[in-house]
Amino acid sequence: MSAAALAPALAATVVDAEALLDSVLASLIAGVFVTFAASLAIWGFATAAEMQRNDRDLAAVGAGILAVVATLAVAAAIALGLYVMING
Amino acid sequence: MEGDLVLVIVVATALVFDFTNGFHDTANVVATSISTHALSPRLAVGIAALLNFAGAFISIEVAATIASDVVDAAAITPTVIFAGLVGAICWNLITWYFGLPSSSSHALIGGVVGAVIAAAGTAAVEGDGILGKVLVPAVVAPVVAFAIGAIAIVVAYRVCARLRPGPVTRGFRLGQIVSGGMLALAHGTNDAQKTMGVITLALIANGNLPETGFDIPTWVIVASASAIALGTYTGGWRIIRTMGTRIIKMDSAQGFSAQGAGAAVILASSHFGYPLSTTQVIAGGVMGAGAGKRVSAVRWGVAGNIVTAWFLTLPAAAAIGAASYGFTSIFGDGAAGPVILSALAIVLGLTLFARRIRQGQPVPAA
Repeated sequence: MSAAALAPALAATVVDAEALLDSVLASLIAGVFVTFAASLAIWGFATAAEMQRNDRDLAAVGAGILAVVATLAVAAAIALGLYVMING
Repeated sequence: MEGDLVLVIVVATALVFDFTNGFHDTANVVATSISTHALSPRLAVGIAALLNFAGAFISIEVAATIASDVVDAAAITPTVIFAGLVGAICWNLITWYFGLPSSSSHALIGGVVGAVIAAAGTAAVEGDGILGKVLVPAVVAPVVAFAIGAIAIVVAYRVCARLRPGPVTRGFRLGQIVSGGMLALAHGTNDAQKTMGVITLALIANGNLPETGFDIPTWVIVASASAIALGTYTGGWRIIRTMGTRIIKMDSAQGFSAQGAGAAVILASSHFGYPLSTTQVIAGGVMGAGAGKRVSAVRWGVAGNIVTAWFLTLPAAAAIGAASYGFTSIFGDGAAGPVILSALAIVLGLTLFARRIRQGQPVPAA
């Protein structure tokens, strides 16, 4: 690593308002979205199990699909988080 | 020869700081998982230690220096770095003693700023850098995390309102294991790099590395990763108890919301290049997840103590850093000052540990 590559990290800034606003908005969207998606996945799996117990197979499949989609959304958010961590 | 001895002391002190960083900040990652029974205490700190170790290897792009934005780089010498580290370690131990989650990064910045002021005067301090890099994030980070935690818990309760508690608790506990893992990785990535940066700076200042075109030595990366992982595994149980049970009585949905808010804020700020304190973010998220359920659910007295510690961190660590530099300079520019101060710091640290051990290990009953 050269000192030139370190320069951006060393550059002094007062308050980068744009970066701050971007950080706040992205945090808000990501934080609420992940919790919403995880909650939806839990709702979907729990509801699918209950519907299946009550022999409501079609409703169970619908809730199951919603749960899987929500789980995939959470997984995608985690993958994005890892990507950000690795690539900055 | 004297310079090499000072360098060895600085490297050892940096690794001790790294250990206290892991020890102090374990709570950020594991407290909510432990308090909601998502993981047993030992398993939680074991996983966190492993992920902190792994996180230290993920990226070394910002392993430059934590202090260069806030002080004149020309004022940084191995003795200044040493005195700054002593300031940070002392403040970490003091806040651990009182069970208060405070920012290790701010302690390090404060320590170095204090040491630089003692060595080169206030002209060597970059006021703009302190405002932009430290003070504004210190206010913004916990407020944003608080808001996200509060909104997220309302969303979670609304979506899962009609479900039986069993599946909801199990689901969010599982989610906590994942979100806690993300936090541990992010912590290892961010915080181990500070130690790498400090050691690298000392190696440059001592002439062991060139000022340009250098690679961070592998032993520096491995040593920093190991120190923070070991500190994490040792576990700062006092702060874990404060973060996990004393701010709010947490259920698994609140734990997940707090961790999700924390992970989102830390990763988003990393992406947009805005530096934030992991400690303040997680504490803000925990308070928000409590207040979102019921404002009175938050023990505001405990929260007030934590916020007070945040405000005190920078000046207190700076004062200790300045005093440390002043003390070492009494013995001249050689290694005598750092050697004597190290011995005194070790005695102080061991005394604090012994005192706390005599009072009992406050591991949560969970």
